Amino acid sequence: MVGILSYGAYIPTWRLSRDEIARASGIPIVMPGERAVAAWDEDSLTMATEAGFDCLNGIDPKEIDGLFFATTTSPFKEKQSSSLIASALDLRKDILTSDFTNSLRAGTIAVKAAMDAVEAKTARKILVVSADRRVATPASIYEQIFGDGAAALLVGEDGIAEIEGFYTVRDAIPGPWRRDVDDYPKEFAPKLDLKYGFMKNLSEAISGLMKKCNLTPKDISKIAFYAPDPRTYLRSPQLLGVEMEKIQDPLFLNVGITGTPHCLLLLVSALETAKPNERILCASYGDGSDAFTVKTTDKIEEIKGKRKGVSANVKSSRTLPTYEKYADFRRVRETVWPKWSKVAHVMYWRDEKSILPLYGMKCKNCGTLSYPIGRCCVVCGAKDNHEEVKLARRGKIFTYTLDYLIGPGNTEGDGVNPGVRAVIDLEDGCRMFLEIVDCEPKDIQIDTPVELTFRLLNEKSDFKHYGWRARPVRA
Amino acid sequence: MGGIKDKVAIMGTGVTKFGEIWEKDAEDLLVEATYEACKEANVDLKKDIEAIWCGTFYDFSGVAGTNFSDPLKLFGKPVTRVENYCATGMDAVRNAAYAVASGAYDIVLACGVEKILDQGSRGLPGIETMFPDPTLTMASAPAMFAMAANRAFKEWGWTKEDLARVAVKNHYNGARHPKAHFRREITIDKAMNAPIIAYPLGLFDCCAMSDGSAAVVLTRPEIAREYVGDEYATIKASGMAVETLFPWLRPTETFLSFPANVKAAEAAYKEAGIKDPRKEIDFGIVHDCFTITELINYQDMKLCKAGEGASLIKEGVTAIDGDFPINPDGGLKCFGHPIGATGCRMIVELTRQVLGKAEGLQVKDAETGFAHNLGGPFAVGAVTIVGRP
Repeated sequence: MVGILSYGAYIPTWRLSRDEIARASGIPIVMPGERAVAAWDEDSLTMATEAGFDCLNGIDPKEIDGLFFATTTSPFKEKQSSSLIASALDLRKDILTSDFTNSLRAGTIAVKAAMDAVEAKTARKILVVSADRRVATPASIYEQIFGDGAAALLVGEDGIAEIEGFYTVRDAIPGPWRRDVDDYPKEFAPKLDLKYGFMKNLSEAISGLMKKCNLTPKDISKIAFYAPDPRTYLRSPQLLGVEMEKIQDPLFLNVGITGTPHCLLLLVSALETAKPNERILCASYGDGSDAFTVKTTDKIEEIKGKRKGVSANVKSSRTLPTYEKYADFRRVRETVWPKWSKVAHVMYWRDEKSILPLYGMKCKNCGTLSYPIGRCCVVCGAKDNHEEVKLARRGKIFTYTLDYLIGPGNTEGDGVNPGVRAVIDLEDGCRMFLEIVDCEPKDIQIDTPVELTFRLLNEKSDFKHYGWRARPVRA
Repeated sequence: MGGIKDKVAIMGTGVTKFGEIWEKDAEDLLVEATYEACKEANVDLKKDIEAIWCGTFYDFSGVAGTNFSDPLKLFGKPVTRVENYCATGMDAVRNAAYAVASGAYDIVLACGVEKILDQGSRGLPGIETMFPDPTLTMASAPAMFAMAANRAFKEWGWTKEDLARVAVKNHYNGARHPKAHFRREITIDKAMNAPIIAYPLGLFDCCAMSDGSAAVVLTRPEIAREYVGDEYATIKASGMAVETLFPWLRPTETFLSFPANVKAAEAAYKEAGIKDPRKEIDFGIVHDCFTITELINYQDMKLCKAGEGASLIKEGVTAIDGDFPINPDGGLKCFGHPIGATGCRMIVELTRQVLGKAEGLQVKDAETGFAHNLGGPFAVGAVTIVGRP
């Protein structure tokens, strides 16, 4: 039976307290706690990749037959993100990649497409990754409500949970939207949207699913669903006719509402603590609603402790001291990169195997493992005598500096925010030279354990170049 | 290998004032240094100089020999533009030396010039965009060497105070040199408490970006005697080694010694027939782009053992009145570092020291000295030994 083989999650390291947002904007807090904030070099593509790595931990990436990426915040208007994510995850070339976009419901739609492909036996395993780096109008209430994050589900047969049924409702209600020229979402009449959009669609989808699968609310142990704001969550037991303890923690206190991945993130969260034979209902909202139930199997116990999931991601965080620091992320992001020759694009294409799936070369003459792949060994100079080796993504700092002349992301230094640079010895002995992110620069030392993280490196020559940085190992 | 020991004479030297020279461009500086060198050599630029090697790192006149021919309006002669990171100026001299040693030419000119200030940058201009690979982690020049300092702190227990001693010593010397950019003595406290540029290196651990030019006229000793009598020095050796632009990707790199230094020094000592540099050489001019670099250079140049660089300066060995003065001119710390000019300026300093005509602090009984450059991220090492004939 079609189901879920594995799950993964990614919540960025940084948090910003709602008190601090309220202080800066003057808008009272909508609820206590903090929200997750993508760093300046993170976007939906990079976060989805991180969640994908978590999901595929211990699984051979070459077994994956498809990668679906769901988001409303694609880094490109024209260019597929899923093919790039697939490369970073080192998936095969002959697989189906597709981006599901433009609706907060895109995540569950991608799950449905994956289910259908597995059911039709056109694929055995499809990885669904979903992420949003949500854009909130500055000094609006949504700066508090939104949070950034990503979820991943591996869909296939005989997994940790079976997908029992899927029900969908479409609706052309205006809802929230962004036109192609809009930087921030436009708001539909909120009360109308809540009543005739969210509530109506969600109820229809859930009741339709229950009927289809012969279920009653008593058969459900957890409901993982998207809601537009915290108030709606608080009212939802009454609206959906279930007890509060069945509502999966919506992650308001520590993450915020992550948009497209949100209901999947809550599903991952529910799976992390679920026992065998528990039924979890997952429901999305956006231009309609999708609802599906999964029932856990005995295998759910086998995966426990082998994924970071939501719980470990939530626990390992760093707090941005001020709203201004959060605003500074935007400044770095919006750096105007120098126009460059096409050389940058061509190199990025030609050296893909080193840059995205992170392969190095192991010299067959002297045994040195080095990065990137070249013709001759960096130590003994042996020509064309090496094998290409996938590199470890953990290591420790050999030496480092805090560079005040070249700041974060190779931007011109401002004398205040240093670019943290480190020579890293990976666990397999390969040397890398990377920027360290998600850290307090003063905490960095020789021997600090680090792990590699997939990031947006720069936008030189009007292209988004993705690649690897490193961060102190997250707990 | 035959080598060029004592086959090449330096018979004319010229050097401009180094500093923030907004009022002059590369043309002015190059003309001044070149004419001064020719005058000292008693040669006529147009009539006697047969070929020219001109070092410039940044592009000011196209990437070609026109970087010299246009400013001097000296057309129709063979001119080679030389670039080799911070060893650019020294490499211009090296190539010119080989040309006269081979007998292909009798009298040639080697020079270097750089106008960095005009580019309006903090640190080296354009380093963020110099390399087209979009995935490179860039590091400023101080950051590259700061990573060596952090290793030295960890491995040998060196401290910021050890680094500060280099700055204080060189500023003491530079304060007495009329052509230096910075001519003020500083204190240990001032050096240690300056703003951080790349941790742990602070402002006084870093050399400045300055403008300047230097030139030398080279020939063979028998010709030199015709023009300047015995007022010339000879090149005892010229060693060079080029390593990698990416030392941080080489698993063997220790950051405690720079292979380019070691190999260039070994080559130079071998060519000059020197077994114990501390005894056979009287003083040195090393590439003190950063204070940590000077200390590691002591070790790589075999003036002391690994880890002893900090005690060498603490004991006063490298002070102007010490057993082995280093950077009696004030070094890059006081002259700044116009990349194309620096190595050539060092050879001018060496020549003037061994001829007893040092403009700064004259080293006592200076018969033989070495000059040393380390370019890029420890990528290019160059050592030239100069002495009395």
